[in-house]
Order: sequence, then C-alpha cells, then structure tokens
Amino acid sequence: MEPLIGLNRSPIECTFLSLHAPIWQDVLAQAVTGELLAAMNYTSLSEICDDPGEAADALEHAEGERGHAAAFAAEARKIGVDAVNNVDAKHWKRLREAFMRCIAKRDFIGCLIVQEIMLESFAVASYSRVGKVAPGTLGNTFAAIAAEEEEHIGHAMAILRAERALDPQRFDDKVYRLHLDVMTTLAQMLAKECKDGHCEVCHASCVKPSLSEVSLSAAQLRGASLQQYLKTLDALGIPGEVTLTWVAQLPV
Amino acid sequence: MGGSVASVSGRAPAVEVDFALIGHQESWRSAADVLAVLRGSERTALPDDEIRDILPWIPPRAVCHVEVGSNAGATARGLYIDSFIPPDRLGPAYVHENVARVRGAAACAINAGAKIVSLGGFSSILIEGNFDQLPEKHDTAFTTGNTLTVAFIVQGVKKMCALQGRNLPRATLLIVGATGDVGSGCARCLAPGVRCVQLCARNVERLRKLAVELKADGVQVEIATDLQQFSAEADVVICAASLASPSLLLGRIAADAIVCDAGYPKNLSPTAEMPGAKVFFGGLGQVAGGLSFAPDFRGVLNRHPFPDVVHGCLLEGMALALERRFEPFSHGRGFITEERVQEIEAIAARHGICLAPLYNADGPLEDELHCHAEWSRAYEVLPRLGLPRDYRSDSGQRA
Repeated sequence: MEPLIGLNRSPIECTFLSLHAPIWQDVLAQAVTGELLAAMNYTSLSEICDDPGEAADALEHAEGERGHAAAFAAEARKIGVDAVNNVDAKHWKRLREAFMRCIAKRDFIGCLIVQEIMLESFAVASYSRVGKVAPGTLGNTFAAIAAEEEEHIGHAMAILRAERALDPQRFDDKVYRLHLDVMTTLAQMLAKECKDGHCEVCHASCVKPSLSEVSLSAAQLRGASLQQYLKTLDALGIPGEVTLTWVAQLPV
Repeated sequence: MGGSVASVSGRAPAVEVDFALIGHQESWRSAADVLAVLRGSERTALPDDEIRDILPWIPPRAVCHVEVGSNAGATARGLYIDSFIPPDRLGPAYVHENVARVRGAAACAINAGAKIVSLGGFSSILIEGNFDQLPEKHDTAFTTGNTLTVAFIVQGVKKMCALQGRNLPRATLLIVGATGDVGSGCARCLAPGVRCVQLCARNVERLRKLAVELKADGVQVEIATDLQQFSAEADVVICAASLASPSLLLGRIAADAIVCDAGYPKNLSPTAEMPGAKVFFGGLGQVAGGLSFAPDFRGVLNRHPFPDVVHGCLLEGMALALERRFEPFSHGRGFITEERVQEIEAIAARHGICLAPLYNADGPLEDELHCHAEWSRAYEVLPRLGLPRDYRSDSGQRA
C-alpha cells in the first residue's frame, strides 16, 4: 500500500501517526469491523420490518454504517496501513449471532436494544475518546462519526421509551436477558487484557497494552463505554439501582 | 423489604420514596464492599485495580432501597443514592467534577420522587448550603442534615466527659473547622458551657465573626488559623474540618484530652500519636425502630461496630420523613442554633433515633453497652414527657 502520510498533515502529526501507525491500524480495524457488523445488522433488520417506512429507515442506517466503515478505512490508508475487517472474529461473531437471534424471532424491539442501546453505546463512547486524542483528520473522523451514532440512538430511544411505557417490567426483563447475552461479550472485548486469546482483529499481538502510547487505555475505553451504556439505560427509565447491579455483575 | 417480588431483571415494584440519602464511599475498601454486594457472592470479587478503574466512570445512581422504622410505629421508605465520588478525588482539584456528581445524584432523587433528601458526607460541603446549585427542586426538599450531626456530636462529647469523669464547665474546648456549618453549630451549643473555647479554621474573617457572636454571650474565645497559636492546651477537641483525607495532626492538646473526630472522611491522621487521648467518632446516631436495605447492605453502607448506626446527616432526612416534615431543615452555612438542635433532637428521639454507642478505630469504648442503655433511655423518654433539655444533662455541666 502506498504510504500517504504527509498529505494535508502537519509535520508533528505525520511523525506521531507514522510512529504509532500499527496502533491506529488496530484501532481502525476494530472500528471498521464494528461498522460493517452494524451495516449487516440494519440490513437484516430491514427484512423483518412490517412497515415499509421502517424498512427504508433500516436500509438507510445500513448505508450510513457502510459509509462510516469506508471513512475509517480511508483514514487507515492515509497513514499507510490497511484496516482489515473481520466480522467473523470471535467476539464480533458472537455479537452478530445475538442480534440474529432477535431477527429469527422477528423481535424488532430486541434488535433495537442490541444495536442501538448496547453496541452503539460502546461505539459512541469509544469513538469519542479516540476522537479526543487522535491527531488531525483521524480524530475528526472519529468525533464526527461518534456524533452521528449518537443521533441514531436518539431516534431509537423514542421508540424504545414508548415500548417501555406499555409494560415497564416486561421491557426491563427483555433488556436484562439481552444484556446477559450481548454485554457479557462486550465486557470481554473491553477487558483490560484479552485473557482468552487473540481477538482475531488486531493485526499482530493485542493492541491494548500499547494504547497508552497514543494517550488511550483499555480501562478508559471500557469505563467510558459502560458509563454511556448506564446513561442510555437511565434515559430509557430503567431504575439506576437495577442497571448498576447488571453492570457490576459483568466479567472483567 | 416490603414483600416485593423482583422480576428476572431484579426490578422491584415501584414504591413511594419518602426520602433519599446522597452519599459516597469514604475509602476504596468500602467501595469494594459495595461492589461485592452488587456482584453477588457467587461471582469472584473484583480485584482492587479493576475497582479503581471502574468506579470513577459510574454515574450517580440509586444503590439500594432503605426502610426505617420508628418507635412511634411509623415507617418511611427511601433510596440510598451514591454520587460515586472516588475516595481519592475529594480534593480541591476535583470540585467541579464532584459538584456535578452531587447534582447528578440530586437529579436521581428528584426523578425518584423523593420528598426529602439528605446530603451526606462531602455532598453538603460541596454544595456549601447553596441549594440553588442543585437541579430544579420540584416537590423535593433538601437538607444538609448538619443539625442532627451537631446534636450527636454535642451529645457524644457530653457523654464521653461523663464516662471519663471530666468536668466540661472547667474545660478548654478546641473546635477544628470551627467556621463550617457543623463546627459553628457545635460552638454555639457547647461554648456557653465551657471555660474557654478555641476556634480554629482557615478563614480569619469568619473566625472573627463567630468569635464576636460567642463573646456577646459572655463566652471566653480564642481564634487562630494555626493550631500552634493557642495559649493553652485543649482538654476537649472536636474535629469538624472539611478534609479530603484523614490528615489532621493536633499537636498541642492535653495528653488526656477527649477528642471527637466528626469528619467524613475522618479528620485525624492515622499517624497522629495521641496515646493518652480518648478519641471517639462523633456525629453518629442509632435507629431503634429498625433499618433495612434491599439489597442487603447492612454493615457495608453503615460500617460501624454496632447495628443500625448511621451518620447524623443522613439520619436527619430519615427522622424528618418519619415525622412527615418534608422541609429543608438544615440549609445554608452558619444557621445552626441550639434551639434548632433541640428541635431535631426531639424529632429524632420521638422516632427512636438516638446517639450511637461511642467507638473509635480500636472498637467500642469501655463499658459502652451499659452506659449506652441508660443514655438512650433518657433521650428516648424525656422528650416524650415534654421535659426541657437541661434535665438530660449527664454531668450537670449545663445547669
């Protein structure tokens, strides 16, 4: 791949990015994989929507997520690396399977909970953190996509709040069941160390120990993601003491 | 609690929230214990480094339901809301972050429909009595809880003097953190009954103002911003300073001084060597009518060597809820008077909320249980009989 570092970047940015290119490569690979998985999820969601308007919205979201993946891939090319995606990597595959179980049940609300409340909380929080420390267009891209993902959540929240209002206990029980399935996997992904082997997305060894070199840390990304998740559940109206227990029981 | 049936998500049926208690954990050990309860005994406890990583990210939220019973037969239900201020971030560098956390906790209380909210620990210090810093209050009243804290500190000092056979009217009383809401309240209640009062705080202007107020009542007062500046050694000391960590070294006090550490976090440095001093933790009360938590946080949220012991600031909210007086009983800074202290003491005692047995870091103090029984009986019975407070004087020092 042709190294493109230097285009529209300051010398300091170039030095920083080239020095840490292998780290950004893995960060971007996770982001591209997550966006492509989201695109696949929205496409699947469109197939179970009874309302043509909702189906069109889901397809539009899928297209948006593919656009995000393309933007991250372009950022990788700018620093001369290839952000290889792997939606079949073990954690991502499990997340996809959890979503597809909701699809199999034609559970539209369950799909929204998995994608918008759980996966997008993780995306918004981690992209925001990366956006704050990554230099130049790389940081701008992460920050801009974090803002767009937050808008997605806002749209879904209105639907989910209305659903919860019909039967809060039933709704909370559903969120909890999905939490056990999805957030357990996300918590393993977000653990400070990958204790159960290679994640199958990082291009070499695990990137987590190196994140401090770019002013990030796995602990910080996990903390920010869990905080975003708790705040999103608060906004849904699920009692804080209940969601605190859910999060406290996640693996570390 | 209340026979509620939890759903699969752990969600209990909604109940009316009479009170909310806003607090935070004093140490990483207590934070670890709270998370261990939430995590459940079937899961391995979180390692300390993980707790330090995770806790600062937890947004303010309810941790458990609380139910308090009254000797008079009433019951009040509430929530304990933790602001999740990390124990090592109480210092000035984190003031804005921590005020935001207290505001977040207050918003939780309002959203839960709490009728009265007690601001425990550093929460009231951060807000400094400026309740307009809190979210729009709707029908929720906020109280710092400082008046009942002062009541229990004053009772504790008198009780300790009685236990030790000390003559309080002949004593020199030192108050560290004297211009704070709690310190100045203690000064107003105790200064008229001692030989001399020494007031120590950082702000000279506030010290002078308080000294003028006390001198007008004929009290002998000394003020200083440095503990070494006082002319005599104190016999009785109240530590009520707003310190981010236990770091106070008292230095010049009488070798056998009675020392009440009323800080949260504690004021006295663990390295403070006072071998002859009689140190006890002040400002604590005990609920006779029963206190329960769901989930069961007994001994975790209230880590004391006796059951149902809670800080006075939190008990004030519970007592007012039991009394159905949903009002900002303690607010602002420097408004705690002896009359207000007597009023909240009477309310608390009516519901069986009395001074807790005295203890310190080494455990319960000598002959504690026996003395406590007598003391509690006096405080429970006398207000119901309508007797004035001076009848309850344990050593005659307020005659």
